[in-house]
Amino acid sequence: MVELNMMCGSGAGFSPFMTGTILPLVAYATFITAMLIAISFMLGRALSNPKLTLWSKTELVQLFVSAATVLFIPLVVSTFCSVDMGEVGGIFDITDGSGNIYDSAQRYLADTAVYAHNAVTVVRYHLEGYTVISYFNALMCEGQIGGGIGIGCFFGQGSDSIQPLGGYGATMGALNVAFNSSIMSYFSAMNFLFILLFVYRGFVFLFLPLGVFLRSMPYMRPFGSLMFAMALSFLIVYPLMLAIFGLMHGALLIAPQNAAGHPMDVASYNEKIFPESETGSELGGSTGGAEYVRALYFSGNDEVVGAISWAATAFIAGIFFPTLAMLATLASVSYVARLYGDEIDLSKLTQMV
Amino acid sequence: MKRLMVLLLLVPLAFAAWQSVAAMAMATSAILLAGIYIIGFGLSISELQILAKEEFFQLIALMVMIAALWGGDGILNSVSTNMAFAGDAGTMQNASVIILADWRANVSSALGGLAAMDQSISIEASKGGQCNIFGIGYSVSGCGGYSMLAAPLSMAGGIVGFAIAEIASMERLVQISMNYALNFILPLGILLRTFKMTRGAGGFMIALAVSMHIMLPAGIIFNSMLAETFLADQATLAEEGKTPEYPPVPAEATIMECTGMDTGVIGDSEGISTAVKTYGLAASVDTSTNEGKAVTSYLNMRNALRSYLYAMLIEATMGPILALLLMVASLRALTSIAGAEVDVSAVSRFI
Repeated sequence: MVELNMMCGSGAGFSPFMTGTILPLVAYATFITAMLIAISFMLGRALSNPKLTLWSKTELVQLFVSAATVLFIPLVVSTFCSVDMGEVGGIFDITDGSGNIYDSAQRYLADTAVYAHNAVTVVRYHLEGYTVISYFNALMCEGQIGGGIGIGCFFGQGSDSIQPLGGYGATMGALNVAFNSSIMSYFSAMNFLFILLFVYRGFVFLFLPLGVFLRSMPYMRPFGSLMFAMALSFLIVYPLMLAIFGLMHGALLIAPQNAAGHPMDVASYNEKIFPESETGSELGGSTGGAEYVRALYFSGNDEVVGAISWAATAFIAGIFFPTLAMLATLASVSYVARLYGDEIDLSKLTQMV
Repeated sequence: MKRLMVLLLLVPLAFAAWQSVAAMAMATSAILLAGIYIIGFGLSISELQILAKEEFFQLIALMVMIAALWGGDGILNSVSTNMAFAGDAGTMQNASVIILADWRANVSSALGGLAAMDQSISIEASKGGQCNIFGIGYSVSGCGGYSMLAAPLSMAGGIVGFAIAEIASMERLVQISMNYALNFILPLGILLRTFKMTRGAGGFMIALAVSMHIMLPAGIIFNSMLAETFLADQATLAEEGKTPEYPPVPAEATIMECTGMDTGVIGDSEGISTAVKTYGLAASVDTSTNEGKAVTSYLNMRNALRSYLYAMLIEATMGPILALLLMVASLRALTSIAGAEVDVSAVSRFI
């Protein structure tokens, strides 16, 4: 179960983190920067250097802008905490949303990870089952007298052998593609989830104090602006986009249909792929015939196309849409950086997505 | 200026559905901008006044964009319901769903055919025999020659699996676009584009909504049209008495029955089966031996391959690629128009 209320809870929420950790650090950074500016201003006056004096005045304004931004963040966070995505969805006649924006974003990625993991489970079940049954080897003694018994094996062995359930190479080739894809989707969903958790817990801790300090340092303003822009965008746009995609839960995270037209159920593909030897299945397997063995693994629940479809839809939910959220966030970084008066080229960073 | 503000506040009354959400967002933004401008004017802070003016220009740009989308809504609907694209399905989206279901059935049938051939071959390849008395004897795998057919079938299975995944992905994307593109993603995009902090994300969502709604089904329908032209050409061949090169329905190849104990070297010719299928058979292949039967089965499979190429390449591969290319190209162009600097090359790499 995912721990929610990481941003909006009264006890362990973002507010204590902000007030207890970030604001003191920002205060230190602001104080140090203000001291540097004051010294520069005094030096400018003492040396009658108008350039230094002007620089100090400009930096003082920028310091004020930086500090105002830091104070703006708790306002945004509290607003996002008070927005109920259920009500937002209600405006558009969507009934899938619930909770605040930060919780909805987290829940969407957690549900996506579970969905992708279910795809892995279903595909793996088929792969394991087909592998086991394709190696089932039947021995048919010469001189059959009935019931699979032949006189050819009475005094030695004279028999034909065959793998009556062999030949799932093509099917397993298809499932292998789906297996790799679903694992990638699972990892991707987990990756985006951990980025989100890092944003909730560690991102602003580093970027905001550094941003305040660096924005006032000569030649370092673009870097400081980038810090601010990233902190703001990842705190605002990234969760917002994910929460919006979370409202599409009803179409995005539904199980594909099986051949009969019903939604597939992951409960039909549990871990009991290997028959229990205590129940006598080994004896049954050796005497019951091919269909008996096949039914041990697939009793009407083999859905190769459905399993592959599940992996494909997991790709859409776990890779495609979270990537779109990340792209929108990076686009927002450029905008926010421009708000602070700097142009930032993020094309290289985007290519890493 | 005052008249324009009043006009903006009245705008919500003139719209319906997503347009009303957009109008409310614009009105809110206008009120905020007016507040910023008033503070700037009152305290003589020129930066605030400049910021308010700049944002007001952005608001006007958004109004133009919404007007274009509002006017374009009719165009989008007329394109969407155009008989040439939508056919009897009513809308392009419904038509694309029907086409995808058809492609999915063909590709699933191809996988079924491959699996059936694979099972026949593997059962034949597994046939062997052993004989021993008092621990002395031999075992033979007289049908081992069939094993050579397993590797290409496994590879083919991988390709078909990929094709099924592609079509399932497209189905899910079209479903999402039908449910959410115009009535959820588009108005939210407009709402987000109104505010400076979320302008990039908003522009991106506007572009995404329009691209998903129109370009995604369009790509599927265009590919289907191309495929129909291709099939018409094949039908002409059939009318001329020639065999179509690429039949649209996957055909199964006949796999010849092998005799496990028949090694051909021990002098045992027990149970030689007759050749069931003879098309494409090279004259030099001796079908009385297990090796000859394996080669004959291979040749049968080779001849059946073309019937798989249509479903695999034209429908399942070309279709999704064309649709996604159209969508990404449209996304790139529209994000630029919407003023969002989003590098969609990351999305292109999904193709």
